[in-house]
Amino acid sequence: MAQRALVAAVAAVLGVALLGGTRGHAARALSFVLDTTPNRATEAQAIAAQLGGAGINAQVRVWQLSVLIPQIQAGQRAVYTTDWGSAYFDPYDLAVPKFVTKARGNFSFYSNAAVDHDMAVASGTPNEAQRRAAYLDAQRKIYGDAPWVFGYVLRNIEAESSAVSGWVPAADNSETMYPAAVRGADTITMGMRNDAIAPLDPGLPPNDREAVLRNIFDALVGHTPDGKVVPQLATSWRRVGPAAYDFALRPGVKFQNGDPVTADDVVFTFQRVLTPGAISGYSSTRKDLLGPILRVQKLDDSHVRFVYSATFPEALVLQSLVHFQIVPQKYVQQAGEGGFIAKPVGAGPFRFVRGALNSEIVLERYDGYWGGPAKVRQVIFRMLPEPSGRIAALLSGEVHVIQEVPPDLVDRLKTNPNVQVRTAEGTRSYEIEFNTKAEPFNDPRVRQALNYAVNWDPILRDIYHGYGTRLSTAFLPNGFGYDPALKPYPYDPAKARELLRQAGY
Amino acid sequence: MRWLRIVHRMLLAVPVAAGVAVLAFFSLHLLPGDPVQIMLGDTNTSGATIKTLRHELHLDRPLHVQLTLFFAQLAHGDLGTSIVQHRPVAALIAEALPATIELTVATVAVAVLIAVPMGLLSALRPRSWVDRAVLSTSLLGASMPAFWFGLLLILFFAVNARLLPTSGQIDPAIAVPPVTGFLLIDGVLARSGAAVASTLRHLVLPSLTLGVVFAAVLARTVRSSMMDVLHRRYVTTARAKGLPETAVVIKHALRNALIPALTVAGLQIGELLGGNMIVETVFAWPGLGRLVVGSIFARDYLVVQAAVMLYAITYVAANLAVDVAYTVLDPRMEGA
Repeated sequence: MAQRALVAAVAAVLGVALLGGTRGHAARALSFVLDTTPNRATEAQAIAAQLGGAGINAQVRVWQLSVLIPQIQAGQRAVYTTDWGSAYFDPYDLAVPKFVTKARGNFSFYSNAAVDHDMAVASGTPNEAQRRAAYLDAQRKIYGDAPWVFGYVLRNIEAESSAVSGWVPAADNSETMYPAAVRGADTITMGMRNDAIAPLDPGLPPNDREAVLRNIFDALVGHTPDGKVVPQLATSWRRVGPAAYDFALRPGVKFQNGDPVTADDVVFTFQRVLTPGAISGYSSTRKDLLGPILRVQKLDDSHVRFVYSATFPEALVLQSLVHFQIVPQKYVQQAGEGGFIAKPVGAGPFRFVRGALNSEIVLERYDGYWGGPAKVRQVIFRMLPEPSGRIAALLSGEVHVIQEVPPDLVDRLKTNPNVQVRTAEGTRSYEIEFNTKAEPFNDPRVRQALNYAVNWDPILRDIYHGYGTRLSTAFLPNGFGYDPALKPYPYDPAKARELLRQAGY
Repeated sequence: MRWLRIVHRMLLAVPVAAGVAVLAFFSLHLLPGDPVQIMLGDTNTSGATIKTLRHELHLDRPLHVQLTLFFAQLAHGDLGTSIVQHRPVAALIAEALPATIELTVATVAVAVLIAVPMGLLSALRPRSWVDRAVLSTSLLGASMPAFWFGLLLILFFAVNARLLPTSGQIDPAIAVPPVTGFLLIDGVLARSGAAVASTLRHLVLPSLTLGVVFAAVLARTVRSSMMDVLHRRYVTTARAKGLPETAVVIKHALRNALIPALTVAGLQIGELLGGNMIVETVFAWPGLGRLVVGSIFARDYLVVQAAVMLYAITYVAANLAVDVAYTVLDPRMEGA
């Protein structure tokens, strides 16, 4: 105890001496700790060095993410690097949770009634033009308020063997092997970045295993790799009231065990997600992806109705349903939750054969797939958590496609004629957030100044090897309602200094 | 008498494991970070859903209640369910442990095959070029990062020469019906030559990576204890009896020299059985190290507690095995 007091006292004296020293010439210098996580430590160091050149004193502190986040949420940190991924190709899953007052992802404690109103309109109006207008307005307001140093979106970098054709990397990493073919082989093997994936149950929280799930299961609607909604088990849909939609099911579709896909299976799938404790005693955390849903009801054997508690735009209904793969009611009830997880059955293009979630999963072509059989007979997903290991497996021909190539290794892969690097625009915003409730970051001039003071171009060029795109706010170029006319804050140290001077620094 | 002592020592492992579990429980809960928040990350989940899930996982109970629940379940032979994986903890460990044991056995084999001849040779010719070569190689081996060495082996043997697979435990195209969980044993049970061959080929590089480091430490121990033993009077006696030099070295000297080496080996084996996260990650080996480190990051409390208890039991067992081996090598140890 005495020791701690002594250390604190010495630190205080030193701190006063140091601050006093730097304060001498002008007003006070802006000085803060920039909190970050190991994956962005280099970037944070570079930013701190840039800010140092502009007379701003930023000290980088590196944390483990799970330790940093609770402190951010408790309002104990001031400036921090964060990121947020979107499961929708719509700001509903990125800008809404990040900027709406008190929303779950609002780590900057940002609050602007006009923005809240815009977001409510965009999430609750069926009219597409009105939605777009609301999003455009929100972007301009957020841009001016500058609750963050707005950052960038990275491309997903993947690689394939030159023997592969037809495979397309997806913006959300959940590509299907359905259109893929391998020259001279009937098996395609993919090296995944995961240590282990969660059980293959579409009711559990969505994460990296979506790539596997979407090969076994089909949903009512699906995504193209760039996010366009396409029919899967539903062939058509229409809005039938202020907050209701009817879906017509594709006739004659069978699950991989031979059972027909009926309206009962669709209702069961959603009840399983919506009923608390329905999955082995646990509640599905996926249900919040469904929006303000009330119930899903059967109209007849091939029609279902989705009823919402408030108006929910069609675009969001469809984006949400992509995440709900249909499960066979009879099979799940017979096999039990444990049996279903051990041997999942869906209506997708490949059926589960065997596998362990921490090593590899083997799927086989389902010849009865409604869209016609896939090109390859077998798909193998291998867990290869180490990037160099994934690349080695690709170069040695053991796997045909790999996820997540580190940007600094891309050039080396590009020199190999047997390998192709493929990229897709990502769906995750990387940024630096401020605690906008705390001094001095409650002053928008300080926040704007920092937006002008960070030079992102060399960071994206040298650290991310050109695989990043600046964002003007947190609206993604591949999402709905993006404003291409709104240009990111330019690097302008003079303007930054001027704004800081006005704010008293 | 010996059996009684073994049973006694095994029983001691129970309170050790329980104590370690309690320590692990509190140190994990001291760390900031909530498993549900970490698991859900940035998925669109409402506060109400998070609250429900925390309740279902008993995470909203006071710590002492959670600990009591853990031990109550344990008394029924239930290690609980993983928060992140939604599967029984026992199943997760049962999947990962055989992979780690197989790798450990192969590593020990590699280490002994390298270390004993090296240590022996250099002890027999102290300060010769052989000795110097052994000493400097073992220094290199002991100070080499396993991560780097593993990647080097992959690059050389798998990517360039294409002699061996880069990673994994078996060619994923080969299906082996799981019986024991040990791929090598299951391959033999299934009478699949292809499975056994593939498993062995996949074992080479990871066991070499771990085995070289292990061998480096072991070779030095064998060398020094061998040099010590070679000057003992009973060795001189054995020589004077007119025994051939090989018999003197192998039967009289080496057997005694192995006792300190066993102690070193026992500790190393205990460590290996915990799983080496780094090597397992480089070689995509689905072992215990990856499971445990991943579970610590995810705050998957029950998995970590179970694994830590397993570690405690493993260490007690490894030490016990070493003690038993002592008495085999040196009957005088029986009463000690």
